[in-house]
Amino acid sequence: MADLNDGRLDLRRSRGRFIAFGVVAALLVLGLGGRLFELQIVNGEVYTGRAAADRTVEVAIPAPRGLVFDRIGRPVAVNTPSWTVRVRPADLPDADRRRVLARVAELTGASGATLRARLEAFVGSPFDLVPIERGVTREAALLIGEESDDLPGIVVAVEPTRRYLDETGAAGGALLSHIVGYIGPVTRDDLLTLEDEGYLRDDLIGKAGVEASFEEELRGTYGSELVQRDASGRLVRVIETIEEPQPGTNLMLTVDAEVQRLAEQSLIWGMDVAGVSQGVTAVMNPQTGEILAMVSLPAYDNNKFAAGISTEDFNVYLADPNQPLRNHAISDIYPPGSTYKLVTGIAALEEGVTTAGREWPTYGCYQIPGAPDGECLFDWNRQGFGPLAMVDAFAKSSDTFFYQMAIQTGIDPLAAWARELGYGELSGIRLPGEEKGIIASTEWARQQGRAGVFTGELAQAGIGQNVIAVTPLQVLNSYAAVANGGNLMRPMIVRGETDADGNLVREYAPELLHRIDADPATLQTMRIGAREVITSGHAYNIRDLDLPGALSGKTGTAEFGELTEAGTLPFHSWFVAYLPSAAGATDADLAIVSFNYSAVVPGNVSAEVVKYFLQLYYDLDQDLRLDPNDFSLVTAN
Amino acid sequence: MGVATATLVETFKARDWRHFDVQLLLYVVLLITVGVVMGYSAGFNDPGAGAGASQTVKTLMWAAIGLTLFFVASSVDYHWLQTLGAPIYVLVLGLLAITMLVGTNLFGAQMSVTVAGLDFQFSEVSKVFMIAVLAAYLTSRRERIGRLSTILVAGALMAVPTFLVFRQPDLGTALVFVGILIGMLFMSGASLGWMGLMAAAVIGSAPVVVSMLHGYQRQRLFCFLDPYADAQDACFQLVQALNAVGSGGWLGRGLTVGGEDQRGYIPVQSTDFIFTVVAEDLGFVGGIVVLSIFGLLLWRVLLIGWQARDSFGMMISVGLASMILFQLMVNVGMVIGVMPVTGIPLPFVTYGGSSLISLMFGMGILQSIRMRSHKPTL
Repeated sequence: MADLNDGRLDLRRSRGRFIAFGVVAALLVLGLGGRLFELQIVNGEVYTGRAAADRTVEVAIPAPRGLVFDRIGRPVAVNTPSWTVRVRPADLPDADRRRVLARVAELTGASGATLRARLEAFVGSPFDLVPIERGVTREAALLIGEESDDLPGIVVAVEPTRRYLDETGAAGGALLSHIVGYIGPVTRDDLLTLEDEGYLRDDLIGKAGVEASFEEELRGTYGSELVQRDASGRLVRVIETIEEPQPGTNLMLTVDAEVQRLAEQSLIWGMDVAGVSQGVTAVMNPQTGEILAMVSLPAYDNNKFAAGISTEDFNVYLADPNQPLRNHAISDIYPPGSTYKLVTGIAALEEGVTTAGREWPTYGCYQIPGAPDGECLFDWNRQGFGPLAMVDAFAKSSDTFFYQMAIQTGIDPLAAWARELGYGELSGIRLPGEEKGIIASTEWARQQGRAGVFTGELAQAGIGQNVIAVTPLQVLNSYAAVANGGNLMRPMIVRGETDADGNLVREYAPELLHRIDADPATLQTMRIGAREVITSGHAYNIRDLDLPGALSGKTGTAEFGELTEAGTLPFHSWFVAYLPSAAGATDADLAIVSFNYSAVVPGNVSAEVVKYFLQLYYDLDQDLRLDPNDFSLVTAN
Repeated sequence: MGVATATLVETFKARDWRHFDVQLLLYVVLLITVGVVMGYSAGFNDPGAGAGASQTVKTLMWAAIGLTLFFVASSVDYHWLQTLGAPIYVLVLGLLAITMLVGTNLFGAQMSVTVAGLDFQFSEVSKVFMIAVLAAYLTSRRERIGRLSTILVAGALMAVPTFLVFRQPDLGTALVFVGILIGMLFMSGASLGWMGLMAAAVIGSAPVVVSMLHGYQRQRLFCFLDPYADAQDACFQLVQALNAVGSGGWLGRGLTVGGEDQRGYIPVQSTDFIFTVVAEDLGFVGGIVVLSIFGLLLWRVLLIGWQARDSFGMMISVGLASMILFQLMVNVGMVIGVMPVTGIPLPFVTYGGSSLISLMFGMGILQSIRMRSHKPTL
């Protein structure tokens, strides 16, 4: 029998290395024993004591988010039970990650890439439940439940999801999206500051509208409970509630969702016939500053945000040149055009430049004082009006009259009166993203590196062009202040808060920003002028509306941008008006502003929008709407 | 043909069994018993882990299969592993590649040996096979053993399966492969200077490996440095294990009843933490006893290696010794907070069919080496 090992050469067997291996092994095992001794005998007491405490964890109990109601009590933001898919990273093996998320995406109709991105964006513990898709349908939730054995780490739970409703109670977020806003997941950056305020890593927070500006009230106070965890870190049993959550308070808006709908309907009509891409209509009670409607078009659907907006949808909104995510009524500034003659008029009367009865010549083209001959500024009426006093000049909207008023008043007094009327300042409405606007002054010119404002600019400022930019809300609020006798009110968007049982817990009283420091007679003169605008026919046939009270108002057009093919400039059109809602009443309780961006039609589309709104609001049998494309309407400025 | 028949008869000669190492088998059986008893104790009060009894039954079934394999491997002359070195290597790579591509949990019945509902993990048996492959290669180097090329080729041979299991991802098994390689190279007589340089290179590449891990995997890996800093999150398991071990005291809290309220907190799902149960239920004394059995087992394995008839047998022995020592160190070290948390089973004790069967197969080869070491040379 041959030896199987015959002829094989062997490796040298080193006694030294065997001994070394043995010694190292022995030392290592002894080391383990030593550490065991240290853990169990020397410090045993310490670890025994810790055992119970380390098994429990204090967990936040989210408070139900407050609801939002309109002024009549219609719910416009509610919480509905919905399914949320979450992932516990510790239970989802890396090897399965792609497959599991792809399957969840398939079942929920989401995109796998979005789900993966949401999971990867999350920073926290592997035991956290990371929300990857909210607002999942019941069917999808059930399917995921059925496949749970094949979907490790996936947990589906019922959670309240925000739902935004319109005036009929149907899902219709776009109607009020700029007012109500939306909520969304807190970002990693937000958390750096918000974690100290009790925000959770998977928390939601108001991102726009009152959802953002009343975040603290709506959120309530989160409670906490002591929860026992199992060996793999899952929460298994509540041991005790440490603090009950305090539900957020409900908001009662000043906005009437039905009025909002009428304002939207009339604006959509006007923008449509005039081919306008951006527009605003806002309605206010001038006595209190309460906003009854505030429409900014185009709007966005906040219900898309409530369940977590997809990247594709969000990019569509971002790419839209008309910026549907912005509330144009408060966040964007435009030249106010002739509506600004209210400011110039008050300033001229108060600064003693003119009196109500003093007539001034008007021109087809006004020669700028100190400028070379022939350098003149046109009136919209190239014939001029002849001599005019304040009321008629305002009613006919004579540009050359107000150039003279502005130049005589001076830029800084003019700017001061603009501020007195709320321009160049935040109105203080409790909505995020309000802009102050631009009011030309010497200081403003210096900030631009100039000694002062040119006389031509000063004249232009007098008619709200060129160096003046304001928000539609500022225009509305200044007319409201004149209408109510001189009280500049803080525009209100929320009028009260109720608790979960519907009891009023806080009422927001109308807030006076300040009294306008002008002679009541001055304001009276301007009110007469505003009334004349309507009665003289300057605002077309709006005077023929069968309204309960006397309507006053002002038109405005503000040229901007580059010449069109027809040789005219595109212009923004404005119309602002107010009236008492009852026959014989003297206090105006309804003020409306409409603004249409970049119209190229001859007529004032905003006046048509307001007219249509009034027809709808007072449910009139009349329909006096004109086609703003009609060239016979060119009298308006 | 005639030689083959004669060889077959030779292998079953009764005289070989006179040299059967009873001690080796004894220590192995003791460790398996510890595993069965502790697994039963751990599962006893834990509704989440399913009925403790059924897991015990499964372990006993695996043990029976393992023992059978042990005796079969003992009976056969171990040199078949040397002859078939290359095909075995290819087989290992194939199994691991399929596992990596398809994923173990998607294996159909035809791809995995399923006994009593448990999937067989190829990475476990790969460890034993790779020991044989390396032993065959290193033995073939003979007088060239001290060259750098020996280390490089051995490293390359090991690198491929190591990479495959790392990508599964199974960091633990990948580390065991590295441990085996180092132990075997050292015992083969490879140049210590070159090994030192290679070791420095491996340590240098550690940050790259760590960076490939997910955030919380990384956190978990480094928990041992300061577990209580993150006791509620990534280091929850380790903290629970430390608390359990620490509360064991001298004699422990007793089997099954011991830690009635603590019991649910030892992560039995990942039975890599089984030593926690030993330490908590049986205390310091129990822990030392188990460590001692491992010490004795290692002593027997090394002794068999020293006395092996040829260097192939010697190399297999020291490979198995390296594997057991490495797994013991990392597993127990993890539980008592001196090693990073990685998924490495405690040999023979951790509940798991693949691991147990592979180890029993390795012990059978060892017994085969032992039984043939006293064969008179003709």
